[in-house]
Amino acid sequence: MASTTDLPLPALPEAQPEKPAGIVDWVTTVDHKKIGILYIVTSFAIFLVGGFLALLVRTELARPGLQTMGLNTYNQVFSMHGTLMIFLFAAQVSTGLANFLVPLQIGAADVAFPRANAMSYWLYLFGSLIVLSSFFVAGGPAAAGWTAYPPLSTSYLQGTGMDLWVIGLAVVGIAGILGAVNLVTTIFRLRVPGMTMFRMPLFTWGVLVNQLLILFAFPALTATLAMLLLDRKFGADFFEAAVGGSQVLYQHIFWFFGHPEVYIIILPIFGVISEVIPVFARKPLFGYRAMVFAFFAIAALSFGVWAHHMFTTGVVYLPYFSLMSLLIAVPTGVKVFNWIGTMWRGSIRFTPAMLMAMGFILVFVVGGITGVFLASPPIDFAVNDTYYVVAHFHYIMVGGLLFGMFAAFYFWFPKLTGRRLSERLGHWQFWTFLIGFNLTFFVQFLVGLDGMPRRIADYQITRWTSANEVSTVGSYLLGVSVLLFLWDFLMSVRRGRPAGDDPWEGNSLEWVTTSPPPHHNFHHIPPIHSERPAFDRRHGEELAGVSDPESKDRG
Amino acid sequence: MAAGCAPRSVTEQGRAIEGAYNLFLYVAAVVFALVSGLVVWSVVRYRRRGDELPEQTHGHNTLELLWTLIPTVIVLGLFWVTLQAQDEVQTPASRPALTVDATAFQWSWRFRYEDSGAEVAGGPGNIPELVVPVGQPVRVRLRSADVVHSFYVPQALFKRQAIPGVTNEFDLTFEKVGIYHGQCTQFCGLAHADMMFRVRVVSQGEFQSWMASATRSGAPGQPGT
Repeated sequence: MASTTDLPLPALPEAQPEKPAGIVDWVTTVDHKKIGILYIVTSFAIFLVGGFLALLVRTELARPGLQTMGLNTYNQVFSMHGTLMIFLFAAQVSTGLANFLVPLQIGAADVAFPRANAMSYWLYLFGSLIVLSSFFVAGGPAAAGWTAYPPLSTSYLQGTGMDLWVIGLAVVGIAGILGAVNLVTTIFRLRVPGMTMFRMPLFTWGVLVNQLLILFAFPALTATLAMLLLDRKFGADFFEAAVGGSQVLYQHIFWFFGHPEVYIIILPIFGVISEVIPVFARKPLFGYRAMVFAFFAIAALSFGVWAHHMFTTGVVYLPYFSLMSLLIAVPTGVKVFNWIGTMWRGSIRFTPAMLMAMGFILVFVVGGITGVFLASPPIDFAVNDTYYVVAHFHYIMVGGLLFGMFAAFYFWFPKLTGRRLSERLGHWQFWTFLIGFNLTFFVQFLVGLDGMPRRIADYQITRWTSANEVSTVGSYLLGVSVLLFLWDFLMSVRRGRPAGDDPWEGNSLEWVTTSPPPHHNFHHIPPIHSERPAFDRRHGEELAGVSDPESKDRG
Repeated sequence: MAAGCAPRSVTEQGRAIEGAYNLFLYVAAVVFALVSGLVVWSVVRYRRRGDELPEQTHGHNTLELLWTLIPTVIVLGLFWVTLQAQDEVQTPASRPALTVDATAFQWSWRFRYEDSGAEVAGGPGNIPELVVPVGQPVRVRLRSADVVHSFYVPQALFKRQAIPGVTNEFDLTFEKVGIYHGQCTQFCGLAHADMMFRVRVVSQGEFQSWMASATRSGAPGQPGT
């Protein structure tokens, strides 16, 4: 791997003569750290709204019959739950973490295009507000599910809510593409001398591959949304079978975006887990290069699996998409075994971040294994579009993304704020989250296998009642758990114990600077000899991974 | 139904799916037991006991090769199982005993028997019943009149989308007399949750007499037995 010594040093954003304070500062900032925090706070607020909608869904489903809302309201609630969570929260919270952390991890002073970075955030915010504004228009928000299949979403659902859905998401999609250009350029061009590609922290690798996926997948989303809007507003009939259009075409384009989206969401989280486990096991990541190759294998395969969402259409070639989908389990499995290999013979500290990371492995494996079932077309014929699939992707999304996100929050909160979260509340939050999560979603596998379709406001088969009651109780526990975190966050952000620069004995460069880091990130960067510069600095040269005579101290 | 196993299939085609599902389940159980066992072992055995730095191992090529190759072999095996089951489900019967035109619409179903012209149609508050003879391959020709729907009979372990502009054909051979729940599983708008149907599987003789009365009365909503 080529040394980066001859790369230009990162340019510092121009110094601001008068530093504005308060809200003006936040609105005008081009500092990647502040933009990262804006992303995280915005997406977390959207997560709270989406979570509230999920609790409404669970409340309605606790018993047969309609108790709390009508059919149309229910359809709007679950549609907006999916929309907020998938489009406006899941992919964005990692972008927020990436914004804050990637420049720090590669020793840069900021991202490559700080102003474009601010523009990405504001486009994301306004796109989200457009989607959210549909709650206040006549007829209410879209009710076509987050997948918005035509012709239901074109000819059958009139009303402004659906239009706002399409337009808002298109704006958010463009923000994503812009952000991806920025982060990819940053990682390729702004690494500090000595920080070769194969010395980058795994989180930065995860972000790189995730942003490359965004570059390839989001244009398909933008195209889909443009076609939907043209069909709705101008009778373009792309998807109208009666006049030669094709509904199946929509499914192809949508899932060509939609499946890579799953990996867009989960790859940075794989990166988070690969950062947290080595630090708390006090060992280097097991199989660093294999982990990087696994990222690329997953990314490449993720573009060849989209039609496993379409096995029951009867019009896709099953064996190809089945084989690709099954194979993606291999690099994913490699990651899991490498994480376990990292813990093996380690010296493990059970901090809330580490607990969340270990919880992640256990629940994510369940999500991954059930994904293998769904890669088999005959099995998919049985369980597709039932609660089995709902359970599966919540094991990936809640089990994967949220456990990983909380691990990241516990791990990097001290770096973001200079303060520590409460260890005790963290343990409480972990256990309530783990138990609530499994109560909510495990029974959904069973009731789905028994035939309960997804996206129904009501069911009349009474043997499904007990499972749904358990699931609803579990979801309330999840709600309590999230509130515990919120409380901990609000208290600690103002009154938490000071964290110090390196509370966990971290490995990557962000732990050698102050908490929170100064405006230009570093006063001093140590020489980089391995993928653990902070570790090398603590333990001296005798333990350093590689000795690299070319690298120089920039201090 | 053993915990987690597939429901017992009431169709010939579904039995192949049931078998494949249960085989996947055994493999999954072993993999999960292995992974969770290793995690729990790490928790118990490798808890931090002192300040001493553990040995800094960076990887192990043989081990990493093994946990790449073994899963590859496993998924290729599962792929083979998949192809076998898929063949059994998808191969059309050479001589279906009858063909039913099934049309999905917001928010019910219409079943028209091709040979006799008998028709069963549902509507609000009226769950339509597809009557078929036991032990005979029934060909279903599935269409949609409006949006995307999905024809699903849980105990047959089978579903197929009804897509505007597409005609989907499949065979179901029910092996057990009984009444089975059916439902739309593709979200299709306001009353998606109410879009149900029933499959009533009867003996050959019963089917003949039902068909006779259904044909006589034209378009019976709920013909008697």
